Amino acid sequence: MLDAVAAEWWKLRSVRSTHVIVSVAAGFAVFVVLLAVQQAHVWDGLDAAQRTRFLLRPLQELGGWVAQLCLGVLGVLAAASEYRTGMVRTSLVAVPSRSRFLAAKAVVVALTGLAVGEAVSIGCFLGARLAVGGRPFPDQRAPIAHDLPGFAVSGVAVAVFALLGLALGVLLRSAAGAIVAVVLLWHVVPLLVYHLPGPWNERLGSVMLSGLPTEIAGLSARQSIYGDLLSPPAAAAVLPAYALVPLAFAGLALARRDA
Amino acid sequence: MIEVRELTKRYGGTVAVDALSFRVRPGTVTGFLGPNGAGKSTTMRVLLGLDAPSSGAALVNGGPYAALRRPMHEVGALLDAGAVHGGRRAFDHLGWLARSNGIGTRRVAEVLEQVGLAGVARKRVGGFSLGMRQRLGIAAALLGDPGVLMFDEPVNGLDPDGVRWVRRLMRALAAEGRTVLVSSHLMSEMELTADRLVVIGRGRLIADTSVRELADRFARGVLVRSPRPEDLAAVLVAAGGTVEPARSGTAEDAPSGTGEGAPSGTGEGAPNGTGEGAANGTGEGAPSGALSVTGLDAAEIGERAAAHGIPLYEVTPRSASLEEAYMELTAGSAEFGAVAS
Repeated sequence: MLDAVAAEWWKLRSVRSTHVIVSVAAGFAVFVVLLAVQQAHVWDGLDAAQRTRFLLRPLQELGGWVAQLCLGVLGVLAAASEYRTGMVRTSLVAVPSRSRFLAAKAVVVALTGLAVGEAVSIGCFLGARLAVGGRPFPDQRAPIAHDLPGFAVSGVAVAVFALLGLALGVLLRSAAGAIVAVVLLWHVVPLLVYHLPGPWNERLGSVMLSGLPTEIAGLSARQSIYGDLLSPPAAAAVLPAYALVPLAFAGLALARRDA
Repeated sequence: MIEVRELTKRYGGTVAVDALSFRVRPGTVTGFLGPNGAGKSTTMRVLLGLDAPSSGAALVNGGPYAALRRPMHEVGALLDAGAVHGGRRAFDHLGWLARSNGIGTRRVAEVLEQVGLAGVARKRVGGFSLGMRQRLGIAAALLGDPGVLMFDEPVNGLDPDGVRWVRRLMRALAAEGRTVLVSSHLMSEMELTADRLVVIGRGRLIADTSVRELADRFARGVLVRSPRPEDLAAVLVAAGGTVEPARSGTAEDAPSGTGEGAPSGTGEGAPNGTGEGAANGTGEGAPSGALSVTGLDAAEIGERAAAHGIPLYEVTPRSASLEEAYMELTAGSAEFGAVAS
């Protein structure tokens, strides 16, 4: 199993798409911090009444949200590029056990997603705080240790998106199809759900993948298109299901299909 | 050792491989021949555990391939040289393969050297020619120093030097006692490389034989040309041979060994200007003084003719025309044959 994981890691780091995707996510984190610097200047020009309504958190959360999409695409490419080139046959000749092949890919994609997700999500959180300095934004008054877990969960959601992408890549065998599916789950379906008649917009909005980190952190979703009906433990149970259920289907498909 | 037992593979309603059985023994190069669509690649995919058989078994070293834990140490395979990620460097492509089977990077450098790609190890595969990709695929098959090797159309896209290199490599691998299975749709190529032949058509076994047996089985006798064909025919019939007028100017009667290589394949009489040659221009069916003799070998024919003072212009044994044998064997089994005009 370790051999297979090491081989998948070698595969992932030896193609340019991986470097491009990680660079885009990292670049976006830098962009978020730069925006925070600009927000600090805006803050300085506001009067006291305006300052009580001026929030920084939506900007801080943007980094993790974009990283979800980036790493979702990375997960898709980890599988679909093998189907596109036919290299999947070479892979399965080298590692004939389909379950070991998929598990090795999942380990590598998940760890990459987690590392990039945490770096981007926590980086945006801390970077934005640094950028605004001591300015008392109404949503930045809590100590760092209090807000950090929320952003750490957001980083986990990035890994979940990466695994979801991987599973869709295996199931659909087409990068274009799987990326469209990832984008749908990432933002299009939540937007549609938001416009459903109540109470369904709230109910379904509470189980949307991108909104789960907020619920796990126990925060209100009033400012967003998502719902917040789930308790933090319930939301924490739904989050990994978004990775594991599609992966289970991918494993079944892989085992039953001719390569 | 490769063993295929009563293997059947269906894709929906299409039968790709139909109750196929054969064995490939160590120490020989076995050519796996058949027209396009005959089921060669399917059989190889089943052997490598990529496709599941509908029924029957395909075994490598006595067991199913999928049960092997580090398969590259036992079996090396080249299926599709184009099946590589163009953005990856050659060294990285072999590197991850080696890593997946616990093989060190030193071995990667070795096989790159062996196939002549050491100079482009750090180049991206996307810029490789088909021939270079074939070499890369062969390098991958050799990584684990396996005892069983399978190559699907390994000379496709190679230049003459490359073809010769592959031929020598196959023979060398077999000489080391390895089991080598090489698929091809070109008999002329297998004739030069293989010891044994497994010929299939429409998924069924047509022949499982040695190259020599096949050649003998399709022996067409000896082509003889003489300025006195009637006299010669009488002498040879008296000696116990069977003589027929050979038709000139048609591809079937070209007394060529390989079908393509022999320059005499375009009509044997013409360059000599013996008179009969005129018939060549007008085409098929005209006797040209050429006789097809069976029941006597070239030496006997030569001696009889000399004893009777009959000049001979040409004596060509036609037993080596494997291309014809192959065409005859697979006639009617080509999946996508063009309609003959």
